[in-house]
Amino acid sequence: MSAPEVYSIAKTPVTCHAFNADRSQVAVSLNDNNVQIYSKQGKEWILSETLSEHDKLITSIDWAPNSNRIVTASQDRNAYVWSLSPDPLTGKLVWKPTLVLLRINRAATFVRWSPNEDKFAVASGARAIAICSFDAENNWWVARQLKKPIRSTVLSVDWHPNNVLLAAGSADMKARVFSAYIKDVDKRPSPTIWGEKLPFNTICGEYSSPAGGWVHAVGFSPSGDVLAFASHDSSISIVYPGGPMVYNIRISSLPYVTLTWTSEDALVAAGHDCQPVVFSGSEQGWALIGTLDDTTASSAKAPGARTGTVGRLNSTAFNTFRNADTRGHTGGDNASDTELLTVHQNTITSVRPYAYSGEGVMDRVSTTGVDGKLVIWDVNAVSALTGKMGGLRV
Amino acid sequence: MSNTLRPYLSAVKSTLTAALTLENFSSQVVERHNKPEVEVRGSKEVLLNPLTISRNENERVLIEPSVNSIRMSIKIKQADEIERILCHKFTRFLMQRAESFVVLRRKPVLGYDISFLITNVHSETMLKHKVVDFIIQFMEEVDREISEMKLSLNARARTVAESYLTAFNS
Amino acid sequence: MSFRKIDIDAYDEDVLLESELCEPDPRDPAQVLSDAKQKQAAVRSTLAKGDIPGALGIALDNTPYGPNVEEAKNLTLQTVVSILNSTKSSEINNVVKALSQDAQDTLMKYLYKGMGMPGWGDVSGSVLLGWHEKLTEIAGTGCIVRVMTDRRTV
Repeated sequence: MSAPEVYSIAKTPVTCHAFNADRSQVAVSLNDNNVQIYSKQGKEWILSETLSEHDKLITSIDWAPNSNRIVTASQDRNAYVWSLSPDPLTGKLVWKPTLVLLRINRAATFVRWSPNEDKFAVASGARAIAICSFDAENNWWVARQLKKPIRSTVLSVDWHPNNVLLAAGSADMKARVFSAYIKDVDKRPSPTIWGEKLPFNTICGEYSSPAGGWVHAVGFSPSGDVLAFASHDSSISIVYPGGPMVYNIRISSLPYVTLTWTSEDALVAAGHDCQPVVFSGSEQGWALIGTLDDTTASSAKAPGARTGTVGRLNSTAFNTFRNADTRGHTGGDNASDTELLTVHQNTITSVRPYAYSGEGVMDRVSTTGVDGKLVIWDVNAVSALTGKMGGLRV
Repeated sequence: MSNTLRPYLSAVKSTLTAALTLENFSSQVVERHNKPEVEVRGSKEVLLNPLTISRNENERVLIEPSVNSIRMSIKIKQADEIERILCHKFTRFLMQRAESFVVLRRKPVLGYDISFLITNVHSETMLKHKVVDFIIQFMEEVDREISEMKLSLNARARTVAESYLTAFNS
Repeated sequence: MSFRKIDIDAYDEDVLLESELCEPDPRDPAQVLSDAKQKQAAVRSTLAKGDIPGALGIALDNTPYGPNVEEAKNLTLQTVVSILNSTKSSEINNVVKALSQDAQDTLMKYLYKGMGMPGWGDVSGSVLLGWHEKLTEIAGTGCIVRVMTDRRTV
């Protein structure tokens, strides 16, 4: 049960982040076309390298832990694979980019390495997903596209642990499971609950939420037998294909844009609500458990004269006149000022697994948000959700 | 009458908070373009249902959301001819300076007096709850400003008429 | 052949049309209309007995949505608004809490539809706003987001 570690990396929004294998470095995109690599020194993150190759905003980064390669996707329709190699001139290890020919004619929105790190999937606005594998003969990455039946921009993808199945959520309100089996790269996968004998571009399932809404995030559970997706109608859906059952949990706050499974029966979701939330359940049903952000503990930020010492400078009368002077408030109340009591002050854009405490049990996750902060949360520090964040008073 | 003001503004505030769930979305229609989808209206699936909040027949707010932008149009209360003229001049003044306003639209949507266009760029650089507070404050003050202008207009007209007509008294 | 005047985007097969986004009401339009009329009668009798939560539950259940059922939609809207008008403001809280999540979402849809119709603002403005405030307090902003994203418009 530890408090979250908060790092204010930048003043600009952090679009996406990816840690390396030992969590000593993190690659982020600060809402521009460069990848910034920060290294942990003591308690701070210091900028150690900038990788520039893209022309437009980098939408997604993924760092393969075992092969130590970074793949980046950007709105300029390209993806690059970066690998560490010694620079011929200085002998130091530098990141060398390799262009990937995606053959998409719109922006790339999301990218993820497969579990075996021999393929990666790039979601794009061209209504297609490009599955890229390395062609050793020609020494480059080739792409095959999953097109049917996607009708709109693909917003996010997630790989199944067997390295063949891929879940994709898109702006046409559907979450789908595809087979991304590439003949020379993958061995024939054993049958799973999603099907067997699956050639490339087979649909294993298509799901949507009852009230519709773009599917912002998808995720397979650690075993791969359950699929979760978050959609814009403020709901999370959990799909058990064996059942078949779909549990749809409606939330009373703003939609989630990213999620990650922490164990076979729990997941963490975050989004426009600015706080990571935990859901838990099983085949019998799912429910919202609580939030990782303990907003009641942050009483230090509360306005008003609630500080310890009583004195002339802490009285409410003094505050009233100070408000009237500096902010032009002639009314005595602070009712028109909404204040966010959560750690993140703006939308959380990405939540990723950070640390495992045992065999497959995740105990910490990292989040980055539009407010430029990187925060590491303890997954077990769940507290009850208070009614509103900051209050909807007028 | 005035007891509907508070629920009206709180309804606008909660709807605006719900609509300001914006994210960066590259155009699906033209490559390398990133346009506010609510203005382009090209892809139907990224547009959401427009919502209206009305206090009475003369005061309405229309909110049109989409994936990366929202357009909010306000119809201000104009009870008589003078208020109509004052409102028109006031909104024209603001709209001509729309660039420094950042979130204002240069032309109001048909049927309304003033329109705001908030995009994902704005929600990234500014705090969303503060933008909502700003718009609610704007709505509260616009009515007050127009009433004040009307009062000072009437007072001035009265003074002018008095001083002119005293010339005929003697 | 005036090539420059052809609307090339109309021939694009990949574009999602408005009609594909929403599934129409599975019931036949005439059936929907008669359902709506039956509901109106049922609601009137429940209201006469003074059972507001029950009446609201009936009215919000199986509502008509989508294209082709305009008359039924208007009828259901009138029914819902008549229930809202006859509820005392102190009871609104309890009535809303008694509704299911589906019913709360549908009620929010009707509140916005009521405010959006021209000519209705004067009649029920304050009633609809009062209900909106209470419903948002109980169901949260997620309910409003669902009204925006749900293509099954009432």
